[in-house]
Amino acid sequence: MYDLLRGPVFWVSAAVCVCGLIFRTIQMFRLTRAKIIPECRLSPARNTPARQVSDEERRLDMVARFRNSVIWRHPVVVAVSAVFHVCLFAAPILLVAHNMMIAQAGWVALPSVPDWFADLMTIAVLVCAVFLLVRRIALPKVAAISSPVDYCVLLLAVMPFLTGFLAYHQLFDYKTVITLHALAGDLLLIALPFTKVGHMVFFFFSRLTMAGEFCMGRGRRTWAA
Amino acid sequence: MVIAEIKPLDEIKQLLGGYRKVLNTGCGGCTSVCLAGGQKEVDILNTKLSLSFKAENVPFEIDGFTVERQCEIQFISELDRMVGKYDAILSMACGAGVQFLAERYPDKPVFPGVNSTFVGVNKDIGWYEERCKCCGDCVLGFTGGICPVSMCAKSLFNGPCGGPQGESCEVSKDIPCAWVAIHKRLKAQNRLDNIKAIHGPREWRDQVQGRIILEPYKARYVKNTE
Amino acid sequence: MTHIAKKTVDSSRIREILDGKKARMKTCLQACAACSLCADSCFMFNGKDGDPQYMPSYKVIKTLGRLYRKRGNVSRAELERMQQLLWRNCVLCGRCYCPFGIDIPNMIAFARGILRSQGIYGVFPHTSGSTEAELQ
Repeated sequence: MYDLLRGPVFWVSAAVCVCGLIFRTIQMFRLTRAKIIPECRLSPARNTPARQVSDEERRLDMVARFRNSVIWRHPVVVAVSAVFHVCLFAAPILLVAHNMMIAQAGWVALPSVPDWFADLMTIAVLVCAVFLLVRRIALPKVAAISSPVDYCVLLLAVMPFLTGFLAYHQLFDYKTVITLHALAGDLLLIALPFTKVGHMVFFFFSRLTMAGEFCMGRGRRTWAA
Repeated sequence: MVIAEIKPLDEIKQLLGGYRKVLNTGCGGCTSVCLAGGQKEVDILNTKLSLSFKAENVPFEIDGFTVERQCEIQFISELDRMVGKYDAILSMACGAGVQFLAERYPDKPVFPGVNSTFVGVNKDIGWYEERCKCCGDCVLGFTGGICPVSMCAKSLFNGPCGGPQGESCEVSKDIPCAWVAIHKRLKAQNRLDNIKAIHGPREWRDQVQGRIILEPYKARYVKNTE
Repeated sequence: MTHIAKKTVDSSRIREILDGKKARMKTCLQACAACSLCADSCFMFNGKDGDPQYMPSYKVIKTLGRLYRKRGNVSRAELERMQQLLWRNCVLCGRCYCPFGIDIPNMIAFARGILRSQGIYGVFPHTSGSTEAELQ
């Protein structure tokens, strides 16, 4: 069973994941269109001359914007989310055991981090997940918009890490735990493009390309219809 | 909508100089939409003012509160419970909102935080263009939906004048001639008759404060109808 | 003005409108991680002492989200509850912040259109339900 999950089933899941993400990206392109940015020629007859803004005022403006940004206002949530997401990606990719399997399968040898560090990242994922869960339950505003799906998604993301942690430390029955670990990993891969976890595609696409107040890129795309 | 622009920080600081506790009121209407006076602008301006006064060792406190629209009593009345605590009010609404606040709280100094500039449209994110001078005598019906009052440098009712350079206004190459555009559009719609007749000058009434009471509501408000 | 009194819900018409922007709206709804970080950006949320019913995401999830989930099979009472969320609780100033870049105002505008197709419109004053005393 375990061999099946880490073998053929894994490759199918990985393929589903990659194809799904590509599909999602293509879908985003299809749902949007290139935006024609109108051209404006500033003429002295029509526009009042730009006000001289002192360096001091510019600095003040940047400070004020930062202090009113989500980073300053919700530092804990932002930090936890950042750590959670970084470790979510980094831990499985940089784990020695995973990379040995890939190397054994005749693929390239990927760089790895020491086991203790991967373990730390796993613990970070688990701690962050507990924080997010508690926040979801305890804060009325988050609870008000939470549906069972949101809890399932969190569980889905955390399961591979929980089982991986148990397996590494040989807690409970190793054979069962490692099988569950492979199963959870495969499930997460399959779910990635098709559930709320897929917000990764939307995030990058939207915040980097879509025109709007909060666009971090040039804003050269907009919704198609 | 009414388009506004945030005032320079120094000017706002000058207005607020001497007041220790200020309430900055945002408007969720037009000035919010044109990124000039919504909650976010209120918050950012308050931070700037606080930091700036603090650097100068001037005692200063400022809070922010944004209401749906400052041009309506029911929305500004929400401020009633808080204005008492403040020495002055800063309003991020258009001129109408500022005055409505000043009227409701006559014993409080009310200052504008934005310059109301024109009635315009949102061309693209962060780009607004004037479309209407609120002249009170709309001619768009015969000018092909292009306003000569706001687009023509001379606000001509009969045009073009002798000045257009190709499709541009004689004032600047970068300004399209409104009347050339009007002619083009009417011709395409086969409506050139619309501008063949001479249109008389607008009735420039004494410039008094504008007021509109809709017909069905006349009986409600007007006591002695002549 | 004859259709004003209609009290039934034309679910097939709702479905038709929903299907018109299905891929886009569902993608947006699915991208929401229900993180609640949009709350602060809504001045109405702050003005109402943090009542979750004024959160941008709440207003979308409980209206458009519900309409999609139920495929338009909603009762008149449910639509009237959505009317409160879409008009009374939102002025469509368009300033909601979403960390994922979800275009919330657009979704609220779309949901408003669906309600209008059922003869449910914005009410004036928007704070319908406020008593005269509250307004004084």
